[in-house]
Amino acid sequence: MHRNVAIGLAALASLSLIDAAHANETNYPLSIDNCGQTITFEAAPERDVTVGQSATEILYSLGLGDKVVGTSVWFSDVLPEFAELNSSVERLADNDPSFESVVAKKPGLVSVSYEWHIGPQGIVGTREQFHDVGIPTYILQTDCVKDNSTGVDGTRLEMYSTDALYRAIRELAEIHDVKEAGEALVADLSRREAAAVEKAKEANAGDVSAVFWFSSAEMDVDPYVAGRKGVPGWMMEKLGVRNVVESDEEWPIVGWETIAKANPDIIVVAEMTRRRFPADDVEKKLEFLKTDPVAKEMDAVKSGRIVIMDAHSMDPSIRNISALEVLADELPKLK
Amino acid sequence: MATYRPGRWPGLLTSISSKLAILAAALILGAAIGETRIPPETVGQVLAMKMFGGSYPVDPIDQGIIWNYRFSRAIVAASCGAGLAVSGLVLQTLLRNVLADPYILGISAGASTGAVAVTIAGIGGGLVSLSAGAFVGALVAFALVIALARAAGGFAATSTGQVILAGVAGAQLFNALTSLIIAHSANAEQARGIIFWLLGNLSGVRWPDVWLAAPVAILVLVIIVVHARALDAFAFGSDAAASLGINVLKTQAILIGAAALVTAVMVSIVGAIGFVGLVVPHAARLLVGPRHGRLIPMTAITGAVFLIFADIVSRIIIPGQVLPIGVVTALVGAPAFALILVRGRGGAR
Repeated sequence: MHRNVAIGLAALASLSLIDAAHANETNYPLSIDNCGQTITFEAAPERDVTVGQSATEILYSLGLGDKVVGTSVWFSDVLPEFAELNSSVERLADNDPSFESVVAKKPGLVSVSYEWHIGPQGIVGTREQFHDVGIPTYILQTDCVKDNSTGVDGTRLEMYSTDALYRAIRELAEIHDVKEAGEALVADLSRREAAAVEKAKEANAGDVSAVFWFSSAEMDVDPYVAGRKGVPGWMMEKLGVRNVVESDEEWPIVGWETIAKANPDIIVVAEMTRRRFPADDVEKKLEFLKTDPVAKEMDAVKSGRIVIMDAHSMDPSIRNISALEVLADELPKLK
Repeated sequence: MATYRPGRWPGLLTSISSKLAILAAALILGAAIGETRIPPETVGQVLAMKMFGGSYPVDPIDQGIIWNYRFSRAIVAASCGAGLAVSGLVLQTLLRNVLADPYILGISAGASTGAVAVTIAGIGGGLVSLSAGAFVGALVAFALVIALARAAGGFAATSTGQVILAGVAGAQLFNALTSLIIAHSANAEQARGIIFWLLGNLSGVRWPDVWLAAPVAILVLVIIVVHARALDAFAFGSDAAASLGINVLKTQAILIGAAALVTAVMVSIVGAIGFVGLVVPHAARLLVGPRHGRLIPMTAITGAVFLIFADIVSRIIIPGQVLPIGVVTALVGAPAFALILVRGRGGAR
């Protein structure tokens, strides 16, 4: 009798295990609301093309690298752990790919980092153009939460948050039937995010201010800096750092006069592989800060509180978390 | 053709010293007004300290902002304004065309193409600066326009309209090249940076730019003042000038060369600022009449003061942000010109 119960319980237990495994499988057909449009999948896409580095790196992180048949829109080198994988993936274009080059790969899904690539005036093509030829498009949630009808980069209506990033990861995982990998990635990123916030709290550095310098059209002219609501704004808010720039634009142009007068405690300079503006080079930025008659008088420059940060980590991407860690590491030094 | 009778010299001196006083006042305002508020006494202390020595306990950041950012910027704005305005005046007189100005003749368009070629297309492999690219582009464009006009017989006294047409064609060509380069390889951020530059931007100006802009402006101004009488003659056509014993080709070459030089240098420092070269000479003409002896100084001072104020407005009109100065020159300049136009007509009746 006891034995029968035991067998019955074991059977029940294994049944529920099977159920749990089922819960992690995607039920097709799958419909997802994405940036105001419904996209439907009959099965997991087998061929992916990405328009945007962050979408590419999310797919790689989900273990879907072997499905990616084409990438485009690269700002910097791929994350080192994906270097080998990435070298075997065809790069359709460093910047914007043409509509036909994307379609020619016969993708089951085109994943896009920025709506302006495939939005109503999309420079690659509109979503309808892709859907007309039976190719679904997925725009990362991080860009859906913006008003993309204004300005070149769009306008962020509310503060960036990793909620949108995590939702994008989960949705891409569900579409590809790898929900477990999605949950694991989100769990890992959330844990690191919380740890960085905790570290900042322990540092208890008081009123700390910062400016994020992305680049400048010319070496001496007013720089592109981070506004309040983008990724750097989110990082600063999470860690209790005050942004000396008060614009709601994502990357406003702000005069050195205003920045110097605000005298931030920390200057974060973006490091990138792109070399189109002189100030793309982090060495040129540092040289400017040390030699410009006004910039060199800022406290952050005098005391060397200049943080070098990967430029792509200042855009919505899984790199936001490592950037948060970099900034959090800086705060204990301020005491 | 004597421009001034001996008895008028004291009047001329008074006129010049009052103009210099206005210029000095505008420069000081340029140093005092900006995105951030700095007390006037601090501004006074910094300027006194830097120009006449002495020392005051001034915050080094304030001192740097006033002296290295704003004051140098105001001087470059003045040099640019004066340079572009007199170059417009010279072109209008020589070509006997009220529409002639560096913009219309394609010089600015060429400069823009040069700048874009360097920054976006990467021509020069990073060794050529944006300014150098703009300078070369301006000279190439102007040479091309002049060559085209000559081929069409435009510089033969009578049909100066050919030069304007050649300029329009040249400007279209270079604007198309600029668009081609931008469309071919720029992303959104770069396009924004370039558009900002194409409309003019003085935020990168420092003292080394002053040592280029001011001497070039003064040199060109002197060259043009020396030719004031010749310009009066050219106003009646090159045949009239020749009949007065002026070496037409040589004088044209010197004056057009000076105008091209000053435009190319200024555009290479601050970008393509339109409006000044076209409109300021007309405003000055409405104020002091067509004689170049009075017209040249009036054009120079009006251009200088106008651009200093346009730059101040560009810095403060949107808090925390900068507007391209080309937008301001047109927005502020067009109504100001309308006012002078209406009042000038009233005076002429």
